[in-house]
Amino acid sequence: MDLLYSALTVALAPDAILAVAIGTFVGLVFGSIPGLTFTVALALVLPVTFSLEATPAIGLLLGTYIGGMTGGSVSAILLGIPGTPSSAATVIDGYQLTKRGKASLALGTAVIVSTFGGLFSLVVMIVSVDFVAKMALHFGPVEIFALVLFGLSTICGLSEKSLVRGLIAGVIGLMLMTIGLDDIDGVQRLTFGTITLQQGVNLLVAMIALFAVPHVIQAFTEYYRNDTQTVNATDVSVELPSFRVLKDNFWLMVRSAFIGTGIGAIPGTGGPIAAFIAYAQAKRSAKDGERFGKGALAGVVAPETANNAVTGGAMIPLLSLGIPGDPATALVLSGLLIHGLVPGPMLFIQHPGEIYAIYISIIVAYICVLAIQLLGIRFFVQILRVPAHLLAVAIVVMCGFGAYAVRNSAFDVYTMAILGLLAYGLMRARIPLTPVILGLVLGPTLEREFRTALILSEGNFATFFSSVTAVVFYVLAIGVIALHFFGQSREARAARNKTKQQQQEKAV
Amino acid sequence: MRAVHRDQLVGTLLLVFGAVWTGVVYLTVSPGFGDGIGPRAFPLGLGVLLVFLSALLLVSGFRKTRAQAQEAPEEDAETDGFTEKGRAELRMVASVFAVIVAYGFLMEKIGFQIATVLIVAASMWLVLGIRKPTVIAAMAIGLAGGCWLVFGKILGAYLPPGTWLPNF
Repeated sequence: MDLLYSALTVALAPDAILAVAIGTFVGLVFGSIPGLTFTVALALVLPVTFSLEATPAIGLLLGTYIGGMTGGSVSAILLGIPGTPSSAATVIDGYQLTKRGKASLALGTAVIVSTFGGLFSLVVMIVSVDFVAKMALHFGPVEIFALVLFGLSTICGLSEKSLVRGLIAGVIGLMLMTIGLDDIDGVQRLTFGTITLQQGVNLLVAMIALFAVPHVIQAFTEYYRNDTQTVNATDVSVELPSFRVLKDNFWLMVRSAFIGTGIGAIPGTGGPIAAFIAYAQAKRSAKDGERFGKGALAGVVAPETANNAVTGGAMIPLLSLGIPGDPATALVLSGLLIHGLVPGPMLFIQHPGEIYAIYISIIVAYICVLAIQLLGIRFFVQILRVPAHLLAVAIVVMCGFGAYAVRNSAFDVYTMAILGLLAYGLMRARIPLTPVILGLVLGPTLEREFRTALILSEGNFATFFSSVTAVVFYVLAIGVIALHFFGQSREARAARNKTKQQQQEKAV
Repeated sequence: MRAVHRDQLVGTLLLVFGAVWTGVVYLTVSPGFGDGIGPRAFPLGLGVLLVFLSALLLVSGFRKTRAQAQEAPEEDAETDGFTEKGRAELRMVASVFAVIVAYGFLMEKIGFQIATVLIVAASMWLVLGIRKPTVIAAMAIGLAGGCWLVFGKILGAYLPPGTWLPNF
């Protein structure tokens, strides 16, 4: 009880609430603007947390994450363009509602169900995270290595269309993290005798480079080619759904929240998948399924509840095992590490107060989402009108400040420029960036635990199969890879059959 | 650029990078002592893995090229880099890189505020070709001032004062 009281005191202090509110606002702004995802916002906000205490710092990040997840619905509903990938499913019926003059109701419903989804997943998270963490308490180097390997296997799910490309991305991420002083022996690796490279590639600098720099290049190129789209967002307000509408959709909200939380808890999945699955099940279970796609309110309720429920679900493996499921949670993980909060089972023993403060910050963030969206929706509509190239100029400044602030060194700004170039090259080569992040985040742990396990077993490789838990993780990893591989093969076969059929039809 | 050309190009570039990485790691990193594996094993293994995966990409690129050549042999094989659009993109990639490097250098030498004003103005005038002095001035001074207020004053973050400027 004392812990809860002290957590309440810290999390509800004015500076902590202000940090969450600012984060929520920033997240909503970035989430609202198509192409400018909340992952970019998180990468830019992260350096700002250096000067803050742990609780406001984490609150700022969580606010940005939650605000961003919710903000995507604004442009999805008003413009038919998803602000974030997670809101892509909302476009289907949300934009139809706008065309039918019901934009205000769609926005209001999205805000309410998003909050419901987020808070529902928070409850599930609180119940399950402690249990998972307790299980993980007895993990040694072998189990942690197996767990990280399982985390890396989710690269398959993040590989988009090509498994080889996803694996290449993951390997590049792992390679980048081997630069610098080796953790165990203190040997210099690829430093070329320079002192600055001894600290290696900073995770934060890499994250800013991977997410923000390609966006700047894209926005500048589009402006230069005159490819920019003008936004015609009309003035709207938020109309809250009636109690009857909410009552009618209550079980749909619960089902979607379960789907979102469950999918969010599986690393490598995330908001877009959860939103589309929730949408599909809503359509399947509806009595008037044919209304979906033509402006059904349930078509907004299901994806918006699910994508926000992902936030709580994704926090389960993040806090209990230190496994980030997507780029956004990887950035939150970096924030936790910066402030000395190492996710994993020990976090719940060493920092229980901070854990409670995180829970409270999530609740505050959802209250802020509600308040800011309800009161300031007109502002977000105006934000959509700000030209992308001018926002990109502001992002250059934020990137520069962010990278410099990491170690007060221009060297990090130069590193960011080089990695940004690399990221853009990879993006253009259709190599996904998310597995790079996974490699960056999990790489050092993978190597450290692998080598520690071998040292403890005096070089005996059989040690990796000496634990049942580790074997379970290997099986899970193989399962994830096999599922993805067979899924891809099935898709390829279907595509081949379709082409054959078309060719036969042409011949006839 | 046709997708298959891209696969071959990307596969080749990554293969070369992986091979160079492997070679450099082998020559410059100590293998370590004692039980288990040393500090060289991971980066070396990753380099070899990248070479293998790049080779897979390269092979799949060749296969696709052959299949496409059979289906549409007359297809234009011009690459993005030589088109108008490709040139504009390359120009922007180089410009953004130059802007960020210059920003880092100037921030350290002449301080955050002046560097920000100069970089924002240069990005808008030279890179984006905007010719509206009032918009440029408003953006440059607004961003520099806003960052100084929010980061420097409210959040208490360190903003580099500039080593070339005298301390007041």
